[in-house]
Amino acid sequence: MQIVIASGKGGVGKSSVTASLLYLLKDEYKLIAVDADAEAPNLGLLLGVTEWEEEREHIGAKIARINTETCIRCGICMQRCPYECIYIDDEGNYVVNELTCEGCNVCGLVCPVPGTITLEQVRSGVIRKATTKYGFPIISAQLDVGRPESGKLVTEEKEWAKQIMKELNLEHMIVDSAAGIGCQVIASVGGADVAILIAEPTPASLSDVQRVYKVVQHFHEPAYLIINKADINPGFTKLREWAESEGIPILGEIPYDSSIPKSMSMLKPFVEAFPESKASLAIREIAEKIKEEVIQ
Amino acid sequence: MQIAISGGKGGTGKSTVAINVAVELAKKFRLVLADLDVEAPNDHLLLGVELQNEREVNQFMPKFDYSKCIKCRKCAEVCEEHAIITLKDGTPFLMPTLCSGCRACEIVCPVPGAIQEGSRLIGHTYVTPTPYNFILVTGKLREGEERSMPLVVAAKRRAKEIEKELLIVDTAAGTGNTVSKAIEGSQLLIAVTEPTPLGIHDTELILQLGKLMGIETWVVVNRADLGDVGEVRKRAEKYGARIIAEIPYSENIVKTYVSGRPIVTTDYPEAEIFRKIADEIYRFLRG
Repeated sequence: MQIVIASGKGGVGKSSVTASLLYLLKDEYKLIAVDADAEAPNLGLLLGVTEWEEEREHIGAKIARINTETCIRCGICMQRCPYECIYIDDEGNYVVNELTCEGCNVCGLVCPVPGTITLEQVRSGVIRKATTKYGFPIISAQLDVGRPESGKLVTEEKEWAKQIMKELNLEHMIVDSAAGIGCQVIASVGGADVAILIAEPTPASLSDVQRVYKVVQHFHEPAYLIINKADINPGFTKLREWAESEGIPILGEIPYDSSIPKSMSMLKPFVEAFPESKASLAIREIAEKIKEEVIQ
Repeated sequence: MQIAISGGKGGTGKSTVAINVAVELAKKFRLVLADLDVEAPNDHLLLGVELQNEREVNQFMPKFDYSKCIKCRKCAEVCEEHAIITLKDGTPFLMPTLCSGCRACEIVCPVPGAIQEGSRLIGHTYVTPTPYNFILVTGKLREGEERSMPLVVAAKRRAKEIEKELLIVDTAAGTGNTVSKAIEGSQLLIAVTEPTPLGIHDTELILQLGKLMGIETWVVVNRADLGDVGEVRKRAEKYGARIIAEIPYSENIVKTYVSGRPIVTTDYPEAEIFRKIADEIYRFLRG
């Protein structure tokens, strides 16, 4: 089974909750963890991974380059670039900004001088594999700074995870997705069997989780909700009301607990670092519910 | 003038810093704040305003006129996204969700009119007046759309149309090319981080991006009492960045955050920290 954990908004505790859930599920199930937040991968850190066993470079991104020797400086490329990525440098040369280029090749197609603009394949990032000290493997992607196509990197990452699942005969893939609703999240949610949404009771988090829920609906996946930092905003009932009106089962609530940030500094799942904390008691109950209702 | 607020990791407090700095700086500049976190735009919620002046962002999509198409397959060959597939005889078909709207197919098509102008709604931009004497521009990607780049470009373009002295951009999390697109053109990049190992890891990436882009970078450490600021300082020094403020974890900040009221408009002691950040930026911009 493939379970994706998503939140829309960043910083609501997706990775902390995921790490603790993995910790609680690891003895009963054969798992693989996938950190699909390729622009800010953190799950490995939270699971204490310090060294990666294997690393695969992903050469997939394409970047346009302009040969200043043959360029006749007509400016057509700059006019036609859909994303405004071509500029004129101090010496009057037309240059592609490699940190914003989407690799669509429109500039190359409209350039009147053949061979002046070429589309070059560059590294978009790496995908890494490690075995955590808890016994289960983790795959983590890291997009290179300023590169496009984090979604493709995540798709590749999940393919590798599937391979490992076959080799090691694993049962479940737990995918920790990125913030937002864009390509990385779509690649994370696509192909999952179930989505577990994490939100906090704030207007911003509600707005973002509603958006990611629409993506989940698009893939017709059943969704569940975990309310994190449940007590930071007493009186805010809209999150719960929304879940109820949409028929999204609430797996549980985790109170705000300073043991969570502390455990992050210790690079441990909070349920391992502070097993008796309020948050740990709450997530244990949630894990039980996941075993019964989600995984079955 | 343009400055950017970013931070690598999600949830570090980018938007909180952005809206509070905007409220303060609006006292000195004619100002526009652009929320370019188009996948999860929240500045309007933090400012307690409803989005206004909606404008559609449509993306080009090829529409094939099969009576004219000569089945040469050039459109499919040139499509970097593999959004156009062809049948055995060469008839092209579009898979709309993969199309990036770049027009490469239209450019190479040898038959005039065989590829016609189609379009797809991919999101909206908004221009919203705020009670704080500045205008908020927001980009919002439609759910199910994969590409945030066109929305970032459209929202930034709309923000630039407005007469102003200062543009503040609030970026998405991460360090991919949409974040660099948002930051592009800034004189100053403010990286909001938290001093946990996770925050520090992601800060390093945004500092790298700032360096690659050649932009002066400052660091604001949020929830500074939750970890080791010394570690943040080390990374900042490595990239020639300066820590300009440390904000403690504060229930007052959470309270104002959820109530849609910028903390600088209150008497809470934490307001002073944001005012100081705004002062530093003001001095930098006035150079």
